[in-house]
Amino acid sequence: MDRRSFLKMAGAASVLAPSLLKDALAAKEPSLVAVAEGKDYAAITRKAINAVGGMKHFVKAGDVVVVKPNMGWDRSTDLAANTHPLVVRAVVEECLAAGAKMVKVFDYTCNDARRCYVNSGIEGALKGLKNVACKQIEPERFKKVTLNGQFLKEWDLYDEALSADVYINVPIAKHHGLSKLTLGLKNVMGIMGGNRGYIHRNIDVALADVNSHVKSHLTVIDATRILTAHGPQGGNKADVKVLNKVIASTDIVAADAFATTLFGLKPSDIPITVAAHKRGLGEIDLGRIKVVRV
Amino acid sequence: MDEIARVRRRLKGMYMKKTSARISQVAFLLLFLALFVQTEYRGHDEINAAVNAFFRADPLVLVSYLLASKSWTWLLLPAVLMVVATLILGRFFCGWICPLGTVLDLLTPKKRRRLPIRALKGNLKYWLLLPIMSASLFNLNLSGLLDPIAILLRGLTFFLYPLLGLSAREGWVSLYRLIGEKRDAIAPAYDFLHTYLLPFRDTFYPLAAFSALVLLGIIALEYFEERNWCRNLCPLGTLLGWLGRFSLFKRIPPGLCGDCGKCRELCPTTFDQDILVKEECILCMECQLHCPHQRISFRPTARPKIAGPLLPERRLLLGGMATGLLLAIPARFRLPEKESRLLRPPGVLEEEDFLNKCVRCGECMKVCLKNALYPAAWQAGMEGLYTPLVIPRLGYCEYNCTLCGQVCPTGAIPKLSTDVKRRQVIGKAVLDKNHCLPFARKTDCIVCEEHCPIPSKAIRSRETEVMGLDGVRKTVKEPYVVEEICNGCGICENVCPLETKAGIEVFAVKNRAPIAVETGGAAENASGLGY
Repeated sequence: MDRRSFLKMAGAASVLAPSLLKDALAAKEPSLVAVAEGKDYAAITRKAINAVGGMKHFVKAGDVVVVKPNMGWDRSTDLAANTHPLVVRAVVEECLAAGAKMVKVFDYTCNDARRCYVNSGIEGALKGLKNVACKQIEPERFKKVTLNGQFLKEWDLYDEALSADVYINVPIAKHHGLSKLTLGLKNVMGIMGGNRGYIHRNIDVALADVNSHVKSHLTVIDATRILTAHGPQGGNKADVKVLNKVIASTDIVAADAFATTLFGLKPSDIPITVAAHKRGLGEIDLGRIKVVRV
Repeated sequence: MDEIARVRRRLKGMYMKKTSARISQVAFLLLFLALFVQTEYRGHDEINAAVNAFFRADPLVLVSYLLASKSWTWLLLPAVLMVVATLILGRFFCGWICPLGTVLDLLTPKKRRRLPIRALKGNLKYWLLLPIMSASLFNLNLSGLLDPIAILLRGLTFFLYPLLGLSAREGWVSLYRLIGEKRDAIAPAYDFLHTYLLPFRDTFYPLAAFSALVLLGIIALEYFEERNWCRNLCPLGTLLGWLGRFSLFKRIPPGLCGDCGKCRELCPTTFDQDILVKEECILCMECQLHCPHQRISFRPTARPKIAGPLLPERRLLLGGMATGLLLAIPARFRLPEKESRLLRPPGVLEEEDFLNKCVRCGECMKVCLKNALYPAAWQAGMEGLYTPLVIPRLGYCEYNCTLCGQVCPTGAIPKLSTDVKRRQVIGKAVLDKNHCLPFARKTDCIVCEEHCPIPSKAIRSRETEVMGLDGVRKTVKEPYVVEEICNGCGICENVCPLETKAGIEVFAVKNRAPIAVETGGAAENASGLGY
């Protein structure tokens, strides 16, 4: 290649590059899943987030951020029914450090909200943090949202989750009686109002419908300890397995797919993950997922 | 407005005088209200001080408990002390402590009225007290129905407090409808109120109107005569009055003075005749304070004389006893079809024993975390009026919560540790295959299994191949109940996503022996993933 043609090509490339790069990222760049391991749960949460680009990549100064843990059950931390408070706190602190104006933490609980907030340890872990609101769901804030999904045409969703600049999904990895596992995709049930039990009759499709509408900008899966049976609320320590892992990804399906392997299952065993992948919400094929261990 | 102005004037009057009795009255009313608000889950599993303190010091509750259950409980020791104090001091409870009495004093017209209702005079109060006592002896404990503190508490719990909560909540919600998320600016103020003063959630209770009307009726009686309820009807007051006859204090002079007679005007409870009737005197000290001649004093005497016969006349005594017995029989009637859903709070093992001990004060219903408890209207027959029932479709018994047992003043609902309480059987869940989705509609559901709090799951499911309604074969998860470990908490019925009637319901059982302690863990059954 002579100098002239090189310059020509370089010129063309510089014009085309941004769009080419975008295409390449969308089509070929494998989804990135970071897996951090260690006994310091706050530290591994930060490591995992940093490995997928750091919180500054998601949260800009002045943003309102929703951090949505799973704290639906009146169970203590060691029973692995709710997201670990240290993981939640680390995520929240990262948001604040990135310049978030306000971080809201909530879940539409299954047991009594007061007991869940207290006994999950999350309310206590966030106490004293400025610009953090760990508050209970107020029914009037659910808004009927047109989803035009395959199963749900419309549903009540929580206004604060809808209006937030950034939505960070922080589930715990658990067994579930109906859907086998509950991970990131299922965790959005916590912002759904109405007769939630109704969606159980077609839960895979329903959750794809909701996740298509409410996108998780970042999914941080707490696998510091996982619940292997009698989920989603467990209650017996014999069902809990300590893994000391935290998983992070911008691709919620990829995060769920990887987390599935922690249970000795294949991503294709979980209908919710399959349905979400089919809907184009993310990558399910472990061969195409780039796993970074930190 | 008029009403408010009057109350304010009255309050001012009370404060202005600042007699010990008035200060004590206001202090106890405030204590009562503070304890009432405190009778709620506020982030701790234990409630240290609850409004049950008033019932535990209530001699009427004590006597009827002893007669009905024929057993002793240390919970009621304060009531014994109250009996002793009354034997020494007289009927001071009514003029110094009783919160209902204080409410009446606050609402009474300033100008005293003397329009006594003839029908209420005479022995009517004994005709209320004696049948209650004797019915208790025959295992029908109705004292709570007419106990003044219970009447006040039920009016508050079932009517006024929900009304307050509902109004506040409605206002807060309408604000959201008006200005949306901007409302967050004043959220801290509302949160504060909601956390420390208002009820956690809005609840409607059966018998709310009736409870309010009884309270209103007692207040309305004030129109005719001051402390009308207290002097003519109240069974607690009557009991205290009878005990007070033995008191060591006596008023000097014992009757009206020939040259004055102002006492009749000053006294809120007695001086229907020219002499102070000791059992009616509530020791409010008004006569002493306002005597134009400073003649009056209350002095201890070494040998108090007891005026009149010790017991009410024999006809009254026997009649009262007989009435109690006669009441105890028809009150027993219950509709059998209601029995199947007669679910009692956790730890209640035996219906009869429970009825003997329950004060029907409504505290368990006030404190119930998920509003599972409601007063029985007629479900438990006349004898069960106002006793607490679990209505799972409205609220379930929270697995780790032990509050109802903590606030029950008599231990009718036993106070249990969390561990023990979790194993108490309220009833047993039964599936209704005509409604339950996997059976009736051949679709997946399993919301009940998901919510079942028993660690090894009292509701489990098995994958079954069925013919779908569209004729296509498919697998659905069909639930089944493991009866041996079901504690009947009712969360399954509560969360069942069917509209109106649930596909799984909790039914009462005779044998409420606690479920066995869980032995193994995940290994003992295969519903998990095999770890």
